[in-house]
Amino acid sequence: MLLLADRRAPVLSYHTWYRVGSKHEKPGKTGLAHLFEHLMFNETKHVPRGQLDRLIESAGGETNAATWVDWTHYQSELPASELPLITRLEADRMQHLVLRKPQVASEKEVVANERRFRVDDDIEGQVNELLYATAFPNHPYGWPTIGWMTDIESFTPEDCERFYRTYYAPNNATLVVAGDFEEDAVLELIQQRYGKIPPARIPAFKRPRAPVQRRERYLQLKKPTPAPKLALGYYAPAFGHADYPALALASEVLFGGRSSRLFSRLVREQELVTDLHGSIAPFADAGLYEIWLSLRPGRKLAQAQKSVERELARLCKQRVPTAELDKVKNRMELGFLQGMETASGKAEQLGFFEIVGGDAASLFTRLTALRNVTAADIMRVANQYFAPARRTRIEVLPDGGATEQEHEGADA
Amino acid sequence: MKRQRNPALRSGTQRPNSIVTGTGSMLLVEADHSLPLVHVGVILRTGSTHDPQGLAGLTRLTTRVMRMGTRTLSTQRVEERIDSLGAQLSVGCAPSYVQFGGVVVAHNLEPFLALIGELITAPAFRNRDLARAKRETAAELIASCDDDRTLAARHFRAYALGKHPYARSVVGTTQSVRAISREHVLSQYQKHFVSRNVIVSMAGAVHEGDALRLCDRYLTFPKGSAPKDRVPPPRLPAGRRLLIVDKPKRSQTQIIIGTLGTHALDPDHTALQVANVVFGGLFTARLTHEVRSVRGLSYGASSSLGHDRERELWSMWTFPAAKDARQCIELQLRLYDEWIKHGVRPGELRRAKSFLVKSHAFEIDTAQKRLDQRVETELFGLPPDYQDGFVDRVRRVNREAANAALKRRLSLRDQTLVVVATAKELHKELSQLPHLGEVRVTPFDRV
Repeated sequence: MLLLADRRAPVLSYHTWYRVGSKHEKPGKTGLAHLFEHLMFNETKHVPRGQLDRLIESAGGETNAATWVDWTHYQSELPASELPLITRLEADRMQHLVLRKPQVASEKEVVANERRFRVDDDIEGQVNELLYATAFPNHPYGWPTIGWMTDIESFTPEDCERFYRTYYAPNNATLVVAGDFEEDAVLELIQQRYGKIPPARIPAFKRPRAPVQRRERYLQLKKPTPAPKLALGYYAPAFGHADYPALALASEVLFGGRSSRLFSRLVREQELVTDLHGSIAPFADAGLYEIWLSLRPGRKLAQAQKSVERELARLCKQRVPTAELDKVKNRMELGFLQGMETASGKAEQLGFFEIVGGDAASLFTRLTALRNVTAADIMRVANQYFAPARRTRIEVLPDGGATEQEHEGADA
Repeated sequence: MKRQRNPALRSGTQRPNSIVTGTGSMLLVEADHSLPLVHVGVILRTGSTHDPQGLAGLTRLTTRVMRMGTRTLSTQRVEERIDSLGAQLSVGCAPSYVQFGGVVVAHNLEPFLALIGELITAPAFRNRDLARAKRETAAELIASCDDDRTLAARHFRAYALGKHPYARSVVGTTQSVRAISREHVLSQYQKHFVSRNVIVSMAGAVHEGDALRLCDRYLTFPKGSAPKDRVPPPRLPAGRRLLIVDKPKRSQTQIIIGTLGTHALDPDHTALQVANVVFGGLFTARLTHEVRSVRGLSYGASSSLGHDRERELWSMWTFPAAKDARQCIELQLRLYDEWIKHGVRPGELRRAKSFLVKSHAFEIDTAQKRLDQRVETELFGLPPDYQDGFVDRVRRVNREAANAALKRRLSLRDQTLVVVATAKELHKELSQLPHLGEVRVTPFDRV
């Protein structure tokens, strides 16, 4: 349990993080952790269907959830007086969820629609899914958190029940409470609500071996879009790895703000792209450093790729000047402070650092870790992680409505 | 008993007053020293509704070029300085206002304000920057065709409101942007960036006295008032009309259905807000329940009530699979019909009011949010107690008032439907929707 009192406003943020995400699934059952995120809002032995949302809304609260590769996260924002309500509801659905056929069938339809929205009819969503599937074959990060459509369609209530009994238990969860509360009262209430819930035998997670890749992987797609796109993925360290802060700063040098190297080069000087971003996947195990470029109509992918490669090479060969390093550190400090403006932001950051980084307290030393990164550190990690042979590249070309084609092969 | 620790959360009478700067602009400050951050806004009371005929996008383009440099700073230098200060700056344009909005670590507030001041009061308006901004805008317009939701929203406004200024795209069209010259930009700037048209806002780790001193030093505008807002009340064409935005290979549709709603000072506005929460403003609302929870037709289903100085649009949004589009639209129209004809039920009304009253704490839990409310009050000319009186107004809404507002303000006859879909697959089916007076198809990539 993590508690952070903030009495500036009479509100409360109550988050429950379960250490189960899509990496804990099996091939053929992908998307189960995410489907569960939906099912948890349904019926329990004590709360009829739809009542959980109704009780929270009537109390002036809002509730939501999210799933990714390492975790499932439930969050509620409520007036401070509603702590008894939310502890009762969360403790109840941790142990008394009802998983019947109609609920599972209806939520499968909703999730199928969510998949169409986020992936099937969204080019960036499709490309991101392909990027991970290509970079991580035979690895749980290779399947999408939302699941393959055929898997979503095939889930049974028995699959769900088994998953629930395996992973939803107090010894697999972290509670985070931030906002206006008295610590003793919260502790007493949580002991009362959760104290008697039995632990589960959580299966040990066998950390998969990182993929071995000796030459670039490459795919090309044709889609109904007015302009080409390019996605690149380089293997990157886990969130808790010592190299993560240095690579995060390298990313900021390349993509952070409108004065960043790639924004200046590709958007302003060369007028090649309309949208670009780069970031490290914040995963508990090694993931990808992702780069996304959406080009202007008529511009050539090769030119954009060359510009990106030139900037990556510069980062590998030349130290970032002190003024530029100070600039990106200032930007990261701003981002950190913005994340701490609300009770909800604080709860989310704390939970994330605990579940993915392994230590909630490291949230408070993160800025120092970033401040301590040197230009030499950035050059070292750039050389280590931006190796073209360990890259996955996906190109999207406009097809004007023609049939989709996919090609695979090594880059020339 | 819940404690009230922040004085700003107590009552309207204790809210800080607005201050008039040396050049006559309005300054609003909301202090909160718990984090070393300051949010800054320079807001104009005029927006894209002031774009001249045929020059849609002029106001937005003007602000965009202002960010591209001053008489002494190039674009790159401006951006370097913003990032180096540990700041963010966004320049946004809406139908009724323009905002230079930023946030900065508190110890760099003064140089940040100095930079914003230079951008706003001494823009270079270089020809090459204008040409670049026009090329960027044209490219962004084309790129926006990738996003089906954006397509639906843009076409909905245009199709629903026809030639009214609210129908106009804030960004403009490729044609209107091409027609904009440096003289147009200069003229728009000179007319609107005048002292009595400007509101300056600061929230966070700043004292009122310092804020005024910095304003007087860096944010000085030529004295004067901007041209009056001449937006007429919008009207919706008669009957039920359907526009299909034709895009290939859609497995899913994006659907927006709507009609005219209210303006912020409409006596029915609060009652309609409450009624809208019942219909589509919550996860357990009728629309969400029937479309998502019961039938699983769409991942999202919600309704919203816009507001501005004149009547804005009320609309509902869903995105079912293409195969379910007709079923979903028919269900939505039936739910809408029942809502207007039979109104809200007592239990629904009680829950909606309870949500709005109790969740109000989240509308004012940060200095930035409290300041946003004060800015909105000034922008839309609302009474001084409008925001603080919200909870009391909601409490006073009864079933009769909610149901009367529905009947008075939302039309059973005049409705606009916009569907992003593959026309060859759905045109015939959607043309059979009940009581359609008009069906049109437009290509998705016409911008």
